[in-house]
Amino acid sequence: MMLKYIDWKATIPRIVASVPIACLLVYPVFSSSRGVLSMLILSGIWAIAAMGFAMILRTGQFSLGQAAFMAIGGYTSAILTIKAGWPFFPSFFMAGMVAGIIAMIIGAIILRVGGIYFSIITLAFGEIVRILAQNLEGLTHGARGLIPSSPDPISLGSFQINFDASLVPYYYFMIILVAITALVFWQIERSRLGGTFFSMSANQILAEHQGIHLMKYRVIAFTVANIFTGFAGALYAHFLETITPRSLDLWKSIEVMIMGIVGGVSSMVSGPIIGAVLLNGLSNYLSRLRIYGISQLLFGGAVVLLLVFLPKGTGLVDLWEKFWRWVFKEPEFYEIPSIDE
Amino acid sequence: MAFGMVLVLSILGILNWAHGQFYMFGGIAAYYAVTAAGIPFPISIILSALIVGTLGILVEKLIIERINVPIYGPLYVGVATISLIFFFEGAASMLFGLQDKGLSMVFPGVFDFGSFSVSYQRIGVVIFTVTVMVAMYIVLNRTKTGFAIRAVAQEPVAANLYGISVKRISAIVMGIGCALAAMAGSMMAPIYPVNPFTGRIPMIMSLLAIVIGGLGSLTGAIVGGLILGFLNSVIAYSISKFQIPGLSSEVVLFMLVIFILLVRPQGLFGASLK
Repeated sequence: MMLKYIDWKATIPRIVASVPIACLLVYPVFSSSRGVLSMLILSGIWAIAAMGFAMILRTGQFSLGQAAFMAIGGYTSAILTIKAGWPFFPSFFMAGMVAGIIAMIIGAIILRVGGIYFSIITLAFGEIVRILAQNLEGLTHGARGLIPSSPDPISLGSFQINFDASLVPYYYFMIILVAITALVFWQIERSRLGGTFFSMSANQILAEHQGIHLMKYRVIAFTVANIFTGFAGALYAHFLETITPRSLDLWKSIEVMIMGIVGGVSSMVSGPIIGAVLLNGLSNYLSRLRIYGISQLLFGGAVVLLLVFLPKGTGLVDLWEKFWRWVFKEPEFYEIPSIDE
Repeated sequence: MAFGMVLVLSILGILNWAHGQFYMFGGIAAYYAVTAAGIPFPISIILSALIVGTLGILVEKLIIERINVPIYGPLYVGVATISLIFFFEGAASMLFGLQDKGLSMVFPGVFDFGSFSVSYQRIGVVIFTVTVMVAMYIVLNRTKTGFAIRAVAQEPVAANLYGISVKRISAIVMGIGCALAAMAGSMMAPIYPVNPFTGRIPMIMSLLAIVIGGLGSLTGAIVGGLILGFLNSVIAYSISKFQIPGLSSEVVLFMLVIFILLVRPQGLFGASLK
């Protein structure tokens, strides 16, 4: 007889974490409240964008143009379904691809600069996308925006998945999309590629001297992240059934950034998801109070407090690990003091 | 406006993204000083500069100084000031309401140049701006504090060794920068009405001016602002002849900024960032 050793210290946190995930999976079975479901769908969409942001940040670049790539994805999908008459799923796929290709071309040009310059460039890029969407009347209907329809019903034998009737199909579509994104990002984080990204953010000069081609990996991260951001944008446009130049502008990019930072960018997957769900739920709740400005006040305040009191800027994910170390009375990790000062 | 932002940037190495919100607070403070307290407009400009300058010092002391740790510091300070944008906008819309607040013209009347005319208010803005610029120049180049500020900008460690308190200078610089933004905001309040979101466009515009003039160069910011205003109308005029769909002066302007950052990140006037 073989006794299997169970590492309780690793298992219990996982079990505890899987409870809310399981609850989310079966949620539509018990309730069909449109408000909560649409809130969760939007959080999923923002979570994908925030994961993209975290991945770009992992290579040491601070992007303020995530909403611009969402807008590219959304507009691609909307134009293909409305003007070219494509069905939903091929145009949804194309949305991600177009966003990825644009990210690759743009990234090959702009990723050579770093730091604050990159932030300003992505900011300018986001504004260019917004103004183009406003001015190309023939393609995008200008400031009035486009109204993409929801996907056609899919029939599986006698059963029909109808996107118009309820939000549940959207909900599971979002869950699948988030799961695929999370899986891809998680695998990247665990692989050699993830290690390379991490070394680039930790010390760029050292990484370059180790033979890491900085540009190549930056472009890879930028492209992969923005493919998924494009998917998120397409889902956003089709779910809300509207997309206007103003709906995905610079300030949405900043919200994506706040979600990523609050959740914690020390992990590429769990942090952004937690941040997006938490902040989206909070703002949804606060908007019912009808005190205008309170959600912005709290968001801004939350980030500042987080940065002041968790000075490494690792967000709520770090608290989670700290909590379990406290439960099991494990010592804190020994930290190597920095030699820069 | 851009001048205050670049002052903070060049000396502390911090890009204050929330600068536009200090501009907005300046406008609101001047509005309340004039309407509620009945203080004459020129004094209320100075009053709003003082109030917002104090706010800036508080932000520097309570937030930026704590976050600015060696390696990742600048990045997180950027994040913090970006989130301060939301914080201040939310606070302003909760405290002061969303409606536009417009002051009446202080210097009514229009000066006629023949082919075009300029209101006295705008002439007043120009005169005031020039005065502030000259005053700043004198402060930076002739006073003891000005020498200290420039020393900190050049080499903080050495300045610290010579007995200059870098922390104190940082707070002073942040206060001056925010006070400049507030002056700009209160100066513009009679021309453009103030609401909690007025800070957004000036922030982007002064960012562009800084990029054109060179990140971290003081004269560059002034010249960049002038170039920006000039280029905007020139480009708008010249591309209106071509009729290319989707092309507007803003697109060209933003592309120009990207191009400048890629080719010559130190801007047109040297002075690279530390």
